[in-house]
Amino acid sequence: MGRIAKGVALAVLTAYVVVSLYPFVWMASGAFKDRRDVLQSASPVPDHPSLGAFRDVWRDLDFPRLLFNSARITVLDIVLILFVFPLAAYAFAVLRFPGRRLLYLAFVAALLVPGITVLLPLVILDTKLGLADTPWAIVFPLANAAGPVAVLLLKSYFEAIPRELHEAARLDGYGELRIYRKVYYPLARPALITVAVLNVVASWNEYVLPSVTINSPGQRTLPLGLQNLLSTNVVQWNQVMAAALILVVPVIVMYVLLQRYVTDGLRGAVKG
Amino acid sequence: MATRVEVPEAPRDLPARGATKRSPALRRVRRWLTAYAFLAPAIALFAVFGVYTVVYGFLLSFNNWNGLAPHWTWVGLQNFKTLVSDEIIGPQVRKSVGITAIVMVALPTLVVAISLPLAFALNSIRRFQTALRTIYFLPYVTFGIAIFYAWRFMYDPDGVVNATLRAIGLDRLAPLDGFLGSTSTALPATIAVLVWASVPLGILLYLTGLQTIDQSLLEAARLEGAGVLMLLRRVVWPLLAPITALLVIIMMREALQGFALFLLMTNGGPLESTNVLGLETYTLSFGARSTNLGLASALGWSLFVVALILSLINLRLLRSRTQVR
Repeated sequence: MGRIAKGVALAVLTAYVVVSLYPFVWMASGAFKDRRDVLQSASPVPDHPSLGAFRDVWRDLDFPRLLFNSARITVLDIVLILFVFPLAAYAFAVLRFPGRRLLYLAFVAALLVPGITVLLPLVILDTKLGLADTPWAIVFPLANAAGPVAVLLLKSYFEAIPRELHEAARLDGYGELRIYRKVYYPLARPALITVAVLNVVASWNEYVLPSVTINSPGQRTLPLGLQNLLSTNVVQWNQVMAAALILVVPVIVMYVLLQRYVTDGLRGAVKG
Repeated sequence: MATRVEVPEAPRDLPARGATKRSPALRRVRRWLTAYAFLAPAIALFAVFGVYTVVYGFLLSFNNWNGLAPHWTWVGLQNFKTLVSDEIIGPQVRKSVGITAIVMVALPTLVVAISLPLAFALNSIRRFQTALRTIYFLPYVTFGIAIFYAWRFMYDPDGVVNATLRAIGLDRLAPLDGFLGSTSTALPATIAVLVWASVPLGILLYLTGLQTIDQSLLEAARLEGAGVLMLLRRVVWPLLAPITALLVIIMMREALQGFALFLLMTNGGPLESTNVLGLETYTLSFGARSTNLGLASALGWSLFVVALILSLINLRLLRSRTQVR
């Protein structure tokens, strides 16, 4: 490629780095500004850098509780997903039984149903089951929604494991559950991490489900607390940005550490 | 071949050869039972939170129900008719259809137009490629309430976008009520955020596609004197057509179903100028106008049907692509 073309390419790429990071820069800068500066100064560097916004948010929002509730939902969601769907994927990938194709098709077809179509029935169901206002009102629907992609990714991963391993384990007298636990589950680690990472992000960020199933302040999650902050009469943008930063930083850290798994997972999910 | 029943601490007795003495039919049934035992948790979850809710919503769409009354009232297709021809709801839904249609055209077009050149440029450089990819992907993974609010902060009447416009003398372009507060700018401003968050997926898919293109093909075209633009148009674009099709469908579905961004950035306003169909369904389900949940279900199911058609087109495209290979 010519030198000019290369120069243009580099310029375009650099410009888009700015576009990609711009909102993050403003989020961080707003969080460290004081009440006055946050809307008055057009510079991203705070004139009077302060941790005041963090302190206020931490105190006023019962932040430890929000963090705990969000973390609890995320952990329960991941544990449930990593228990239920690898088992199912193993059955689809390795075992032979009547109704296999039909059942698999039904599972994956669930991907076609838009979230908004089932949101109302889900909330009604949560209420009927007495789950409303508990973490489970969010955990079960989220885990179910994660099913198709998880099964898709894990099934193709299990299928890539050489059949000989299965045969050998059989000859050693292993039953299916032991083969699954001792051979297939450990070998599928990369795919399991992918599934976990995708869903940690999804459940940590989830706003809609908690907003329609959680009523008591004690059960509120981080996104709900953030929303609460903005619905006050006089919006204190430095506080909103401080809370937003606390919400988004864990996601960024995890993504940077485990990005290979994220991109692999998305490629697989999109093609399925 | 023995197939053990699912007891976690299954003893290792009964070596595999011993089991072959049992009748084949019995062994087959045991194998099936084992498979279903593996599937049981997933089936239970799926039956309750998947199948039940879909069927419930489907049935509800043929009934009237205010959410409190002990019984539903069967009304047949009335709710679907109301969506189209009711004096109050009809125009509302039509307006939402129009807004959603704009998003469904704008989002895929802009994402393709921005992510393809970026992926092409990214593919052409060697250094910094990994670092750039990491940065480009951040908007996609962080997509959610925190990011929506960061954009609201920037779009604020006194926010950085307006401040920048004023600083460079373009005061006329800076809306007094901010970009989200004016009917003429709110939709473009929200679409911009959606595009910003979706371009990373386009880059990822195009980059994957570009890396599968035979480099000697590009080299040959270059030797024949093809410039970069020519290369993009005549060689890369046709070769990446299947990926473009996939991306367009994904983006159209996102435009059709997504509503969290609109809920949290504008709540459909100002004056319903950003009230997409997903958000209209949400409002009919939980908002101030949720007087008939059957109506909300009917709209939700209408969205489902359109999404299904899009997915079937997608499937067709994927099929035809694999047949070529």
